[in-house]
Amino acid sequence: MRFKHILVLLSAAAMSIALAGAAPAQDKTVKIGAIYPLSGNAASAGVHGKAAIETAIDIINNAHPELGNLPLAKNAGLAGLGGAKVEAIFADNQGSPAVGQNQALRLITEEKVVALNGAYQSGITLTTSAISEKYGIPYVAGESVAASLTERGFKWFFRVTPIASDFAKIYLEFLKDMKAGGQKIDNIALVHENTEYGTSVASVITGMFKDNGLSIAQDISYSANTTDVQSQVLQLKDKKPDVVIMISYTSDAILYAKTMQALDYKPPLMMADNAGFSDPSLIKTAGKLVQGVFNRSSFSIGPPGSPTFLINEMYKKRSGDDLDDTAARMMQGFFVLCDAIDRAGSTAPDKIQAALKATDLKPDQLIMGYKGVKFDDKGQNILASGLVIQLQDGENYVPVWPKDKAKTAPVLPYKGW
Amino acid sequence: MSSILVQVIVGGLLLGAVYALFSSGLTLIWGMMNIVNFAHGDFVMLGMYVAFVVWTLLGAGPFLGAPVAALVLATLGIIVYFGLIRSVMKGPMLAQILGTFGLALLLRYSVFWGFGANFMTLPENLVGGTFDVLGIRIQASRLLAGVVALLVTLGLHLLLTRTSLGSKMLAVAEDSTAAQLMGIRPDTMQAIAWAIAAGATGIAGALIATFFYIAPTVGETLAIVAFVTVSLGGFGSVPGALVAGLLIGVIESVSAYWIGAVYKDIVVYSLFLCFLWFRPQGLMGKS
Amino acid sequence: MRRLIWPSVALALVIAYPLLFSTPFQQRLGALILLYAIAASAWNIVGGYAGQVSVGHVVFFGCGAYASMAAYSHFALPPLVGIPAGIIVSVLIAAVIGVPTLRLSGHYFSMATIAVAELVRLIVTNTEFLGAAVGLSGPTVPRTMLDLSFTSALPYYYLFLSVLLITLGITWWMANSRMGFYLRAIRDSERAARSLGAPASRTKLYAFMLSAGLTSVAGALYAMMFGFVDPESGLGILISVKMLIMAALGGAGLLFGPLVGAAILVPLEEISNNLLGGKGAGLTFVVYGAIIVLIARFQPGGILTLIKRLWARGGKTPEPTVAAGATHAP
Repeated sequence: MRFKHILVLLSAAAMSIALAGAAPAQDKTVKIGAIYPLSGNAASAGVHGKAAIETAIDIINNAHPELGNLPLAKNAGLAGLGGAKVEAIFADNQGSPAVGQNQALRLITEEKVVALNGAYQSGITLTTSAISEKYGIPYVAGESVAASLTERGFKWFFRVTPIASDFAKIYLEFLKDMKAGGQKIDNIALVHENTEYGTSVASVITGMFKDNGLSIAQDISYSANTTDVQSQVLQLKDKKPDVVIMISYTSDAILYAKTMQALDYKPPLMMADNAGFSDPSLIKTAGKLVQGVFNRSSFSIGPPGSPTFLINEMYKKRSGDDLDDTAARMMQGFFVLCDAIDRAGSTAPDKIQAALKATDLKPDQLIMGYKGVKFDDKGQNILASGLVIQLQDGENYVPVWPKDKAKTAPVLPYKGW
Repeated sequence: MSSILVQVIVGGLLLGAVYALFSSGLTLIWGMMNIVNFAHGDFVMLGMYVAFVVWTLLGAGPFLGAPVAALVLATLGIIVYFGLIRSVMKGPMLAQILGTFGLALLLRYSVFWGFGANFMTLPENLVGGTFDVLGIRIQASRLLAGVVALLVTLGLHLLLTRTSLGSKMLAVAEDSTAAQLMGIRPDTMQAIAWAIAAGATGIAGALIATFFYIAPTVGETLAIVAFVTVSLGGFGSVPGALVAGLLIGVIESVSAYWIGAVYKDIVVYSLFLCFLWFRPQGLMGKS
Repeated sequence: MRRLIWPSVALALVIAYPLLFSTPFQQRLGALILLYAIAASAWNIVGGYAGQVSVGHVVFFGCGAYASMAAYSHFALPPLVGIPAGIIVSVLIAAVIGVPTLRLSGHYFSMATIAVAELVRLIVTNTEFLGAAVGLSGPTVPRTMLDLSFTSALPYYYLFLSVLLITLGITWWMANSRMGFYLRAIRDSERAARSLGAPASRTKLYAFMLSAGLTSVAGALYAMMFGFVDPESGLGILISVKMLIMAALGGAGLLFGPLVGAAILVPLEEISNNLLGGKGAGLTFVVYGAIIVLIARFQPGGILTLIKRLWARGGKTPEPTVAAGATHAP
């Protein structure tokens, strides 16, 4: 009889469900959930972020007096909780909002994490934080820039990174400065990929530039993970813009770099909005083809002996690459969360939430170059800031703007290869 | 303005030749064994990684990388045939989709596990740089891939139509019982067909690696292009795949230039659908 | 009377499941299994029973998902409105593309369905009204119960169970009707069926439209549970493939095949992700892929046909099995 068979199968399935839901043993560590893309197209960013957070845990759980004023570095463990250790439970969001949500639920209800960190892709940060909001668990996002995330009226969501409008402002000011120095910036071309990240950043830039007298002459939107970009580069070559702003993930960034060289196209000034152009993979594979590209960042490695330099050495041992801006922001988000837990002196969600609201970190307490960390009532860090960096030798990015933060002056025109 | 258009078309032809190159293996097995191979894109990806390993260990370019990739992939093809394909061939199309989908995941993430998520490339100048022909820029690596595409298409076509091995393979494809009665072993022929197709795919991957990026997820991007190329060309027709590939490459490039990149895929899919609706057997497929 | 014992026990267990396995995660997992089972069962109508392997069914799934989110985002209506709206749109699409596409045979049909689904996804990605690339969100804080935005998975579980039972009921009714009779004939040999007077084109089209409508219901339910849809999660090709492999793994053309397939694949994905995903080495998918390969290799007809064979060998009355497309005798 058919139903008997189904019964057998459903019991087997039931047993596996019981297994799936098995909660692990309790112990004295403070567990934090970290949901990142550890597979799929964005895996490169997720895997680097994992190494960054593991470095942060090393710093927190062990005494590192050489790291200066960084909170939680001096002592081993969280002083506010009697030296309790921190543990991150990583979950792969597989690039899917649904999977991200399921993992968020598992981390909250099964692993009993006290807070969540994540999730890189803004769409996934959206759905995973919706779960933590429902359960009253604090969620700290270190790197997702979509504006909508802090417009939902959430009480448990906190974002440390600057958002798209902050970056648009940085680009605006930078370009105006370049114009004052004699660089032509009248024709601006935006090349952006067609998913949520590229479209939202592009529209923010377009809006802000328009409000300030700069117009976008060419808006080239393309599908992410495309097989070929020759036509797009030819469109640029045809119209000859003064400034090209690239908003791409790594795979497309590599394609653009190679195609521009193949078609012998060099814009006078090229800017990139983080993401693909900040990925160490791009620098390794195509860095020599895009020498002189500007980028935005809030992180710089700093002089030897400085805390950020030392942290970079620790990170390099784990991941094989230098800390890039994205991974650094993930690390910073994690530090902010742990600092709040430490100040709360407890793992109760409402106490952590209160501590987060009261966060007031000074610049010398951060690894990022922000002006500080202080959240407004939407949960956004109002002291987040960034600067402009440039890939001058094809291997390393150096800060070039604003003048007071710059290491060297910007090199123009764009060199390419 | 028109020299840019010529550049666009030349670029489109070269792109299309690449599409044809990595689709020829797929159409061979699709036509011969009626197999839907969802893992095809990942075979291409493996060819790329073999080329990368050859370069890393021996410093050699595609002239060594492609033959090595062909061998490695052909061997893998035989293993996959005896391990999986032979059983699912007997089942319905669904079983083939199921099996090859699982295979795709397995291959993709084994490579992910072994090589990591980072994007990699072969050095820029491995196959010479870019040269100018009457004002049109042509990348040597893409030109090489295009030439190899023509050679592979010719080679496979001649193999199928002019050699006794080829006619045996076609006999099995036509009617395996009748072929058996004539002393041909279907199993052997199909394994050989699978190995040849995989080998051709390996060559494709090794050549594409000279100008594209290398990552475990490349298969996802390329698979669907291969599927469209093969069905437009007609399942089983290697010359059809060449023509279809070239056509798609040019249409894609010209639409991307004239209308915009996001619309190029819309144009290709729409034309593809209309074509199928009016000529259901593809360009050169059997009626 | 005895024939009803096993079905009743099975049904009782399924109803009691979320009370027996009551952690939020287990309840949610159960709800997800049912949700995917609805989609896969809907697919089964055209893919299993009619033998037309559509690999683009996500387009109907997306209809329902987008309809419900658009109803909320643009008209402030409860997303539930998306169910009838999605059904109408998806059935219309099925009618329009079904006519030229169902004429195509086998693999060409599958390729055409992929092309249609990708085309719609690309168009939606560029349509502001449907959220373009950013997608549409549902209510973050439910206004009334009608918004179906619950914290606990329990109400979802029972909602999905009811819909699944309705879907299976419709499938069963269709399989035993004249339409089902024609479909079996068409699946076995379309040419022969036509020559015997079966209205093949019309029957396939109706099956396609029915399947489309039910798939869109699954899409709407998905959007309500997750509160978000974007082109990748609502119209991506992976969803089509998942529907297909769940039905195939369990047994296509069998009433409970898709449910069995979902009951195996969904926990499998979850468990492998939970145990291995966090390591970041992609092992989740190596294991998941390997298991699927093994099942396809050793049981191309689906798990349910294996079970049937085992029980048949155990001395029970052997049921007539026909490859992977057996319908049950009443």
